[in-house]
Formats: sequence, structure tokens, C-alpha cells
Amino acid sequence: MDIISQLQEQVNNIASVAFNTFGTLQRDAPPVRLSPNYPEPPVNPAEDASTFAEQTKLMSAALVKAAKQFDSLVAALPLADGGEEAQLKRIAELQADNDAVGKELQKQLEAAEKELNQVQELFSKVTDNQFNMKRPD
Amino acid sequence: MATATYPPPPPYYKLYKDYTTNPSSAPEPPPPIDGTYVCFGGHYTTDDVLPSLEDQGVRQLYPKGPNLDFKKELRSLNRELQLHLLELADVLVERPSQYARRIEEISLIFKNLHHLLNSLRPHQARATLIHVLELQIQRRKEAVEDIKRRREEVQMQLKESLRILDGC
Repeated sequence: MDIISQLQEQVNNIASVAFNTFGTLQRDAPPVRLSPNYPEPPVNPAEDASTFAEQTKLMSAALVKAAKQFDSLVAALPLADGGEEAQLKRIAELQADNDAVGKELQKQLEAAEKELNQVQELFSKVTDNQFNMKRPD
Repeated sequence: MATATYPPPPPYYKLYKDYTTNPSSAPEPPPPIDGTYVCFGGHYTTDDVLPSLEDQGVRQLYPKGPNLDFKKELRSLNRELQLHLLELADVLVERPSQYARRIEEISLIFKNLHHLLNSLRPHQARATLIHVLELQIQRRKEAVEDIKRRREEVQMQLKESLRILDGC
């Protein structure tokens, strides 16, 4: 896939990792005590607080990894700092070159065709003479 | 189960009755359309250009002007994005009711990112064109060399055969 599509894909990746992270946090976060007026929240041992903390670490690591990959893709952009005018100039040069080489090719092709026709004519004359056992003039 | 029949062909097929005998008696095909046109109820335009962010009502975060340093802007937008995601996490912990503003800013950054990437596409198209032209020039030069070589071989062989024939 070309580099720009990869970059676009990576941006969408970052977005999906981000909203997956926040969604998981919202869904699975254990209750927390907001103020000393409220009683302690019931600690639910079946919730696996350690797994949750691990998951959080993994998800944030994935987010940072995605962002780093985006940076490395940006570094890989072959963006020769010529700008639009430099590119257009190069295209005009290449077109002129292409025309010149094309004319040369055309010339060679015509000469080669002419020679081919000559050889074919001579060959047919030779074979005719051979058939009729005439002495070549 | 009732099925509808196909629509009939357009009525101007009658104008092409004598096309085989006299091709110029039939009408010419319509000229190519310029500007905007309507196709199956939808409006399309022949001038396909990427609409700028202001046209879509989105604030542009990276500087305008000629000769934009795309790599630098992309990298700084990436950093901004990460910072805003962290801010969102903080807001959710401390002031959860203010999430909307942060989410708006994050989506603004994403829109800017995608617009910047889309504006790289014309550059890519020109680079592809340059590459294709270079390949074509190289192929043509090789063909010219090839033909020259073959012609010389033919000349040499003809001279050779002449020599042999004259010898005997």
C-alpha cells in the first residue's frame, strides 16, 4: 500500500485504539471513593483489580506505539522539498526528452522498415531466378 | 411475484437507421460536459479539487501559505493529539461533565490530519507521472539502441553474403 494510504490507515488506527481505551476504562473501572461523606465502596474481589491495571498499561502502551509508528511513517515520506513548480518543471523537461527520443525512435523504425522491404524484394527476386534457373543479371 | 420489465431504449435510436450505408446521416455524439451536471438525481462537478477546510467549516490548525513542511506539521499534529488524549483522561477523572469540549478538539485535530494527508495526493500524482515518464524514456532509448544494433547486423550479413557470392 502506498505511503499516504498507510499514513491514513495509521491515523484511523490511533483513533480506534483511543476510543477502545476510553470505552474499556469506562466500562471496567472499579468504583472509587469520591468524598469522605460517602461510605467506602464495596470492594468486589471478583473484579480482578490487577488484571484491570495490566489492561490499562497494555492499552496505553498500544496507543503510544501507534503514535510512534505514525511518526516513523511520516519520516519515511519521500517528500523532495521541490514544491509544485519544481515538479511541473521536471515534467516539462521529461516531456521534451520523451518527444525527442520518440522522434529518434520513429526515424530508426522507418529506416529499418525500408531496409526490410528492400531485403524482402531482393530475396523474392533471387528465389524467382532460382526457380526459373536464369542466370542473375 | 411481479417483476418490472427493463425500460425501453432511448427513442433516438430511429435516427441511426441508415448508419451502415451513410455514417454521416446520423447525429454526432454529444460533446463532453463541462462544469456541473446532474446524474441520477445527484449533482456532480467536472472540476475535482479538494475543498479547503474553511469550506467545510473546520478550523485549520496548521499554517497556510506556500511550501508547507508536511512532515513537521504532521508530527506536531500528532503530538497535539497525544496531549489532547491525555487531557481527556484527566478531565474524565476530575471534571467529567466537561468532556464535550475536549472531544470536539480531538475530532478537530483528526480532521486536520486527514485534510493534510489528502492535500499530499496531488504531489503524489505528479511524482508518479514523473516516474512513469522516466521509465518510458528509458524503454524508448533501449528500443532505439536495439534497432540500431539489428540494422548494423543486417548490413554486415549482407556484405558477408555478397563477398561469398562474389567469391564463387
